[in-house]
Amino acid sequence: MPPSLVQDLESDSLLSLTQAQVGCDFQIRRLEGPGCEQLRNLGFCESIQVRKLANGRNLICSVCGTRVALSSDLADQVKVEPADS
Amino acid sequence: MEASNDLIALAGNPNAGKTTLFNALTGSIEKVGNYPGVTVSVKRGEMRNAHGKALDLIDLPGSYSLDGGSPDQQIARDVLHGENAKIPKPDLVVCVLDASNLERHLQIALEIIELEIPVVVALNMVDVAEKAGLRLDPVKLSGELGVPVVPIQADKGKGLVELRQALGHPFPPVPEAAWEKGNEASRRAFGLQTADLAARRPEAHSATISDKLDRILLHPVLGWVCFTGIMFALFWSIFSFAGIPMGWIESLQDWATGLVEGAMAEGDLRDLITQGIIGGVGSVVIFLPQILLLFFFIGLMESSGYMARAAFLMDGFMAKVGLSGKAFLPLLSSYACAIPGVMATRTIDSPKERLVTIFVAPWMSCSARLPVYLLLVPMLLGGSEGGAKQALIFLSIYVLGTLTAFIVAKILRGKLGPDEVKTHFLLELPPYRFPQWKYIFRHVLDRGWAFLKNAGTVILGIMILLWAATTYPKLDSDDPAEVLSHTIVGRISAVIEPIVKPMGFDGRTGTAILTSFAAREVFVGSMAQLFHVDEADEDSETRNSIREQLTAETWPDGRKLFSPAAVISLLIFYIYALQCLPTTAVVARETGSWKWGIGQFIFMTVFAGVASLIVYQVAKLFGLA
Repeated sequence: MPPSLVQDLESDSLLSLTQAQVGCDFQIRRLEGPGCEQLRNLGFCESIQVRKLANGRNLICSVCGTRVALSSDLADQVKVEPADS
Repeated sequence: MEASNDLIALAGNPNAGKTTLFNALTGSIEKVGNYPGVTVSVKRGEMRNAHGKALDLIDLPGSYSLDGGSPDQQIARDVLHGENAKIPKPDLVVCVLDASNLERHLQIALEIIELEIPVVVALNMVDVAEKAGLRLDPVKLSGELGVPVVPIQADKGKGLVELRQALGHPFPPVPEAAWEKGNEASRRAFGLQTADLAARRPEAHSATISDKLDRILLHPVLGWVCFTGIMFALFWSIFSFAGIPMGWIESLQDWATGLVEGAMAEGDLRDLITQGIIGGVGSVVIFLPQILLLFFFIGLMESSGYMARAAFLMDGFMAKVGLSGKAFLPLLSSYACAIPGVMATRTIDSPKERLVTIFVAPWMSCSARLPVYLLLVPMLLGGSEGGAKQALIFLSIYVLGTLTAFIVAKILRGKLGPDEVKTHFLLELPPYRFPQWKYIFRHVLDRGWAFLKNAGTVILGIMILLWAATTYPKLDSDDPAEVLSHTIVGRISAVIEPIVKPMGFDGRTGTAILTSFAAREVFVGSMAQLFHVDEADEDSETRNSIREQLTAETWPDGRKLFSPAAVISLLIFYIYALQCLPTTAVVARETGSWKWGIGQFIFMTVFAGVASLIVYQVAKLFGLA
């Protein structure tokens, strides 16, 4: 399979943090968008595990043991997949 | 002999505990809190290393990276790059890292290591990290980074001896970066890998006490119930509970007046002391308990970690007026004093949002307005203090100031247009901690002392001048009104009266307003002096309160001077007017132009005057005058 197709397929299977279910653990796979730098500075990096704690206008997540509140605009830029349990 | 001490800088992420460490090392009492962005400017102090050598220590505002961002983070960047005009490049940097969150905190340490300055890592809050189940390995961390690593607990003073030892000469060598310098991806990968080695996280995510508390305090419904409850408790304690210590101060004042009156013969000097100094300054000092309580509550919210939650809850509401949750912190601080409020706007990323927040911050009723409100509000209720009605009026005053601020913010935000770079709401919610009582109390005492110092200098000065202006030149007459009109104040009043009369005030009230442009709390003292003059032949065994005197005042035609319309009009004026020179100076400094400082002063004063005029005229139509 060509690599671009692999990436597309992978993208399709990824959720954004906004869509992710509350109370579950996720693995961050990719950050896309203008807010990446800001997100990385607060610990949202590829391969890091994140737990979504609450939905809403601003979401609450636990990342690297810290609770962070972030706008849904930003959460849309975080692509995750369910963590292996 | 060396010309100067070595310069050590404390750097790291916001809320890593830099200021707590700074206080512990230097014995200072700089303000600490449990939310990101308490320190917005560079603090300086002196400390000694383990050999007793003096070192200059600077505490930098926290930043997530050295790329800049909000103004406070740019300060840290400039200092570390040696690009700050006032502060030379540090000789050594102590990177303060939160041990429970190394993945994130390590990143800035790596960036600093790239700057080729000697670095010592202070691994802070190791107790919190271990409690959370992390297995820390400072030796491994030191090996990976190539710099000394000292585990500490800054709040409990643990590990400080070892840290002082690490700051002994010779300084550790400039470390070699074990990743590709300047390559962000390589640096991040190295940071994550090192964090994984030096601080192993437990596999299972267990809910902490903070998680459980947040489930309630950030709940869409319960969260608001708690928020309202906390705000209610704050204001209730200020307006109700504070009455007890205020009574003590009042008795002390009466006792002092009695003492002076008993010991001195009647004359100008005695009048100066009893009316000018004890009466004038005392009428301001009496509000000390309320100001202390307000600072105490705000300190408690900051120190426990609730402030960040309040910002989170308020974000949705603030967005409606074009601001974000980050503007809540500065605005709430402005209820205590606009100056720290304006300074706190440095944590706001968007420059336009910051400007708007600075512009409206003085409309949050600050503690200096309290004395004025507390004098005037009971006059609307027939002189009685306390009770639900008074609380309701107070609440309306605060709501009115706040709402106006939000409306003006919305208009101004619209006029300024969108930001060039869109910023998003992103806020760390620190774990709840027990408040650091020692610092809260020291901070509260500090603020109380600043208030008293102001009362003892500026207010005392104005009171003495005012006393002289209401006494001289003297006229030999029995009619107190005639005597007053002959004095300097009498003459000024006569000039002012036609201007302030449409707002419902006489010349003396106008003069009191004029005296309060330097600092608004002067108003109460001025009123006490200006209206005391009439009370010549009264039996003043017990000193009548200013309020009773004011209530009895009449216009020449016999109408009450302080009718409900006039009192409301006065209140409106004080809610809106910017009568605080230090605020104007700070605004000019923070915005980088006097245009904003002066513009804000003129706008708010004109707004206050017009609002007051309209309210009085409308109230008059309704027969309240």
